[in-house]
Amino acid sequence: MFGNFLDQFWSLTFGGLSLGFIYILIALGYTMVYGVLRMINFANSEVFMVGTFATIIIIRDVFKFTQTSEYATGPRLWLILGTALIASMLVSGILSVVIELVAYRRLRRMNSGILAPLISAIGVSMVLAETMRILTDSRPVASPRAMEKSFIGKFFDADIRLDNTIIIVAAIILLAILMAFVNKTRLGKAIRAVSMNGNAAKLMGINIDGVVSITFLVGGLMTGAAGFFYVLKYENSSFSIGFELGIAAFTAAILGGIGNIKGAFYGGLVLGLLETYASFFLGTQWKAVTVFVILVLVLYTRPNGLFGEAMTQSRA
Amino acid sequence: MKKRGLISVAAAAALAAASLVAYAPASNAAAKTITLAFQGPLTGEEAQVGQDELAGMLYAVKLFNAKNKGKYVVKVVRADDQGDPAQAAKVAPGIASNKKVIGLVGAAYSGATIASLPFYKQRNLAMVSPSATRVSITDPAAGAIGFPVFHRVVVTDKVQGPSLFKLATKGVSSPKVFVVDDQSAYGVGLVDYMKPGIPAGQSAGFDSVSDKTTDWSATIAKVKTAGANVVIYTGYFPQAAVFFKQLRDSGYTGVLAGGDGVLSPSFVTLAPASVLEGVRLTAGTVPLADISDKLEADFQKKMGKASGVYAAESIDAANIFLSCVSKGVSTRAAMLKCVKKFKGKSLTGANLSFDKNGDVAGGVMNGFEVKAGKIVFTGPVK
Repeated sequence: MFGNFLDQFWSLTFGGLSLGFIYILIALGYTMVYGVLRMINFANSEVFMVGTFATIIIIRDVFKFTQTSEYATGPRLWLILGTALIASMLVSGILSVVIELVAYRRLRRMNSGILAPLISAIGVSMVLAETMRILTDSRPVASPRAMEKSFIGKFFDADIRLDNTIIIVAAIILLAILMAFVNKTRLGKAIRAVSMNGNAAKLMGINIDGVVSITFLVGGLMTGAAGFFYVLKYENSSFSIGFELGIAAFTAAILGGIGNIKGAFYGGLVLGLLETYASFFLGTQWKAVTVFVILVLVLYTRPNGLFGEAMTQSRA
Repeated sequence: MKKRGLISVAAAAALAAASLVAYAPASNAAAKTITLAFQGPLTGEEAQVGQDELAGMLYAVKLFNAKNKGKYVVKVVRADDQGDPAQAAKVAPGIASNKKVIGLVGAAYSGATIASLPFYKQRNLAMVSPSATRVSITDPAAGAIGFPVFHRVVVTDKVQGPSLFKLATKGVSSPKVFVVDDQSAYGVGLVDYMKPGIPAGQSAGFDSVSDKTTDWSATIAKVKTAGANVVIYTGYFPQAAVFFKQLRDSGYTGVLAGGDGVLSPSFVTLAPASVLEGVRLTAGTVPLADISDKLEADFQKKMGKASGVYAAESIDAANIFLSCVSKGVSTRAAMLKCVKKFKGKSLTGANLSFDKNGDVAGGVMNGFEVKAGKIVFTGPVK
């Protein structure tokens, strides 16, 4: 059994890494909003789900791919992938901002406490999921394949696939851009300031509402990118994947330390890899159980998560 | 002024109504209304199958109503169980207690059938299923839970298991077969009937994976390490499409096969044609077009769409009830008796009657193959 694992180690690892990066991007949606507002944005899982449908609509309806179409190659492929990525990022980003305006802003203004925004978030989540369920007739929707999943090389006997590679590389680039934004720009500084001390930031003249909107926008953009990568890898979506992946990404955020971008990064990677290895050893049935057992063990020893500092920073 | 206006409007309306009545066509008070029901997935992942079977039943009913105008009007009540036992248990009581319904075509899926049986047995409602193939429903050794109300026009998984294995390994020298089930009653059952017939040395392993899985890398790793060149999946088509896709993408070049749960027109819309090319499927159904082009053309004209899976079997099931209706049956007890005694011919020309457990006497398993994005009938599996 262990021998088999070593055989498959690198393939499993690449699969786990690309899954991990998808988790990271969704976890960022949760963690950044928590850093700034101390609130869990449960609707983020449905923002992800809408992002996946945006990608499918681009590939299937705008570029008119079907299950019997030829695969795209070269510049046309990059055009299609680029459009789909940007479209899902924008759709998710805008949706995220709208959700904040509609569901949370007023409650924040009224200082309504912790519970009301939470319930509002769950409500938004249900509205989005059920609306999508009605629109898709409760069925899963398949995405036609635009890009051939070719093997581009070998790494220690494991085949490296194009789609996993694109996900990993593109996710790293997005994360680098995010880090630069948060650390090097004025707006990023404002976000960090608000997450450290909201009142002091207000006194410094920072427009809190603006910062909150930007945070939701950035979280939504990252989550939308995750939606694109998910469709690229799994080629389907349904109204309920928000729930399935949202729980996993939320767990990743907690595992790494919520409120903390670095935490989301490591939490997502660890979760993606652990899930993949666990399902190899124990069977897919035990995947969720293993993950949550590990989560509990980590929180037992480090209650703030692996990299959780005392919840006042949102820097790497 | 207003009151006068109102009175004149009322008078005009009354006159109009009276004249309408006078011109009404001769009433068909003689026509008896009979209600039958259909149970199957009409929404959800499996909706395509249910919609196709319902279309078959509605076609048969349409022909019957046209032939028996003035004598009988048959109506069809729909029960949507989404192919899910939990959902079936919610919709079955409603149908069972609807006194007008005297016969049920369904349920389409075995799991849903088993969940609905207690309600239908209690109310003595005859069932004829076009596609539920789980053996235990009619097997005395397994409790024959379907007795006395359940009947089916399709051959069971006892035949399908070995047939699927035979079709999957056809033409493969030294086959090493890896079998995966979806932990459902149907999937596990199909594997159980396949196992005894597997020749020594041809089995490369088994796996049991939940039907909610999206990431199949663990199973795929097992398939690769076992060196399998034939993979059989005994679950349903949505998961089969994802599984086969991921299997091919990871470099697997052997044979892929599935049972009748995978046979669905929607199957080919869920994965690229190049991935599904050559996938072999078994099912106890024959496409309508392969029985008769004229029949398929008439079906398309009357129903406005092409026939789907189990259309022929649904038509056969509906026709059993309809033949009883034309004999004057109008109560559940009489319908059950009539169905049990039924002797007739199916659309394919084969004799159609039930044994004492409700199974169809005789019947053959058919093979299909996916070619260029379409499921093509390849003849009975010998």
